[in-house]
Amino acid sequence: MCAQPVTNTKEVKWQKILYERQPFPDNYVDRRFLEELRKNIHARKYQYWAVVFESSVVIQQLCSVCVFVVIWWYMDEGLLAPHWLFGAGLASSLIGYVLFDLIDGGEGRRKSGQTRWADLKSALVFITFTYGFSPVLKTLTESVSTDTIYAMSVFMLLGHLIFFDYGANAAIVSSTLSLNMAIFASVCLASRLPRSLHAFIMVTFAIQIFALWPMLQKKLKACTPRSYVGVTLMFAFSALGGLLSISAVGAILFALLLVSISCLCPFYLIRLQLFKENIHGPWDEAEIKEDLSRFLS
Amino acid sequence: MVLKAFFPTCCASADSGLLVGRWVPEQSCAVVLAVAHFPFIPIQVKQLLAQVRQDSQVGVAVLGTWCHRRQEPEESLGHFLEGLGAVFPHEPWLRLCRERGGTFWRCEATHRQAPCPPGEDQVMLIFYDQRQVLLSQLHPPAVPPYRHVGADPTSPGGLAAVFHTVARCEALFRSDRFDEGPVRLSHWQSEGVEASILAELAKRASGPICLLLAGLLSLVSAVGACRVFKLWPLSFLGSKLSTCEQLRHRLEHLRLIFSTKKAENPAQLMRKANTVASVLLDVALGLLLLSWLHGRSRIVHLADTLIPVADHVAEELQHLLQWLMGAPAGLKMNRALDQVLGRFFLYHIHLWISYIHLMSPFVEHILWHVGLSACLGLTVALSLLSDIIALLTFHIYCFYVYGARLYRLKIHGLSSLWRLFRGKKWNALRRRVDSCSYDLDQLFIGTLLFTILLFLLPTTALYYLVFTLLRLLVVAVQGLIHLLVDLINSLPLYSLGLRLCRPYRLAAGVKFRVLEHEAGRPLRLLMQINPLPYCRVVHTYRLPSCGCHPQHSWGSLCRRLFSGELIYPWRQRSDKQD
Repeated sequence: MCAQPVTNTKEVKWQKILYERQPFPDNYVDRRFLEELRKNIHARKYQYWAVVFESSVVIQQLCSVCVFVVIWWYMDEGLLAPHWLFGAGLASSLIGYVLFDLIDGGEGRRKSGQTRWADLKSALVFITFTYGFSPVLKTLTESVSTDTIYAMSVFMLLGHLIFFDYGANAAIVSSTLSLNMAIFASVCLASRLPRSLHAFIMVTFAIQIFALWPMLQKKLKACTPRSYVGVTLMFAFSALGGLLSISAVGAILFALLLVSISCLCPFYLIRLQLFKENIHGPWDEAEIKEDLSRFLS
Repeated sequence: MVLKAFFPTCCASADSGLLVGRWVPEQSCAVVLAVAHFPFIPIQVKQLLAQVRQDSQVGVAVLGTWCHRRQEPEESLGHFLEGLGAVFPHEPWLRLCRERGGTFWRCEATHRQAPCPPGEDQVMLIFYDQRQVLLSQLHPPAVPPYRHVGADPTSPGGLAAVFHTVARCEALFRSDRFDEGPVRLSHWQSEGVEASILAELAKRASGPICLLLAGLLSLVSAVGACRVFKLWPLSFLGSKLSTCEQLRHRLEHLRLIFSTKKAENPAQLMRKANTVASVLLDVALGLLLLSWLHGRSRIVHLADTLIPVADHVAEELQHLLQWLMGAPAGLKMNRALDQVLGRFFLYHIHLWISYIHLMSPFVEHILWHVGLSACLGLTVALSLLSDIIALLTFHIYCFYVYGARLYRLKIHGLSSLWRLFRGKKWNALRRRVDSCSYDLDQLFIGTLLFTILLFLLPTTALYYLVFTLLRLLVVAVQGLIHLLVDLINSLPLYSLGLRLCRPYRLAAGVKFRVLEHEAGRPLRLLMQINPLPYCRVVHTYRLPSCGCHPQHSWGSLCRRLFSGELIYPWRQRSDKQD
């Protein structure tokens, strides 16, 4: 076919089909080919403040990790009595629990069918198991070097931040893995504390801050965005304050990190949108738009 | 077409006469079995052949004539021999002639009838030793070689026909030199059986004795099969103790030996003989051991050394445990778990030592009675030794089982909790790992347990490793003993002896030596028997053993060790039937 002379192009019009024999070479295309080129169909226009608002999820998670580490530091140094932490945790959990139902007027609870009895059972399971295992946790890593424990905790907390479900639709996201890594890190760190009561309260606190707090956040963000912004700011400042009491340099660095994530990164994202060159055309692979499920059943 | 004539060497110096044998048309070869001498009456020769044919189911016929010229050529004899062809019609008619001096042979084969063109075929003369061929048993090669169309007699099929013919016509050779029959035959003859009163008595007595012993043995096995032994603890013990297995095995052997049924084929006969040889050797070695043990109060010495050795082993184990309870090899062990496990095992050893000391006054008597069992055979004594080792190292076995169970629990728990850690689960229906959404409390408890198990794993693994090594040592010793027992049980001693003293009895094939190869004369070859190689003798006639074969390959053994499954040295009763 390629060897055929292209003499009668004027008479025969080229068609973009394969099921008929045409007097053109295989790689021949018409002038109309590029007419169907489209650019940036799916590109979205971002509003700066909306992006800043969305980035607050990351801020919250960073602050959670920071608060957890700061509290652990206080416990390890003996500056914070475990009873105080337990009382504060219990009070804030109760407030959060009441808030959780109040925000949407019990809508979510009715939908999921979660009863209060089941909540109580879960809480009892947490408390019992943690209390029962706390002596084991205390002696668990005695013979392991402290540096190994620190390294392991750092890796696990980093993994927690990486795999956390920030709302993005990606394959790497796994909220299960992220929560498990956080619990692992908290167990590792708790085993370094001086007494088994400390370990018990540390692990309980980890559950509150890594498992329960994000659930409340999500609901706050969905129902009352204004109060969510306020809570985020308060939380960030308290984390910064806690870090400042330990090390000023660390606090400054952490503040810089928070500012860059909440202000600089959105700005950069919007700037980079200008350079977006996404082309679409007939060469794209086929996409089935119609719902085919009725044929399958 | 080349015609092969197999001629027995013992007939080479026989007087002139008729060639009696079998014609194998597929191989176009004639197997000469005997020479019938002059003078004879043709009808008597025919009667004799008919009788042999009936006995042996082999088509024996007169193949031709044999002429041995000792003196001057006699013209009349030549004519007479030619005339015989009309009396005994056979196609083709062989005429074999040996000239004076024995160096000059002539051989002709003539076809007298259509459709074959009249004329003479070329004849190849192959001499064979009739006695060796008669007694030998041909073993076809394990892998049949590629066979040509119209194969020469060296191919297994042709040879098998020759061997078969000679072996079946034993009736022809039954008459010895001193027999005077109506027809004088010349073939291989035994020197005559020397009559002995003892041999005759033994032959007569063997029947009733076999019957009596077979009855006794069936009585013993009936007692063994009694219902009391089928109850739980006894049957379990019987299946686990190697002594019981060995006794059962020997009982089967004895029943085979004393069975009144006659062996049907040479393989069964050989197996019976091998069993007899194995049992005899076993008992002889056992008696030797017995006389060594019970002489010069060796039993007392043995008993005096046995208890201190057991004590010493226990002490060494205690030292090992104390080492493990410290910081062995600088490993990071969990101190609390280490202490718990170490104390648990130490208490076990303490129990064991007190048990040994309780036993010590009786050890000598036990040993004396055990020593008596050697008269049943060395294998029984060795099996008892293996069982005693198993009993004396019971504490090691216990440690191993505890360690393995604990380790297995940890490994299984860790593997399933690791799936939970990643948010996956094992789908038993689809046999694959699926993702799964867990509840919060499930995740929490799972991760808590995962962390604890992960940090406790090195301690358990170290205990498991040390006790597995000890266990493997014991298993290796027991395996060596079982290997020895198996060797005695399954070695075909009779066949090996036969191969050593009478190599021609077990034939692997034949080889030909050229006697004379000159133009115008028939090619003369001498057939010699190739003996079977020793490894094939062992392979072919190996007696079935109790199945001491390792159950696992090395790879699967390592896998089982890694996953903490128990390793048993006990031999499993093999279902393989011979």
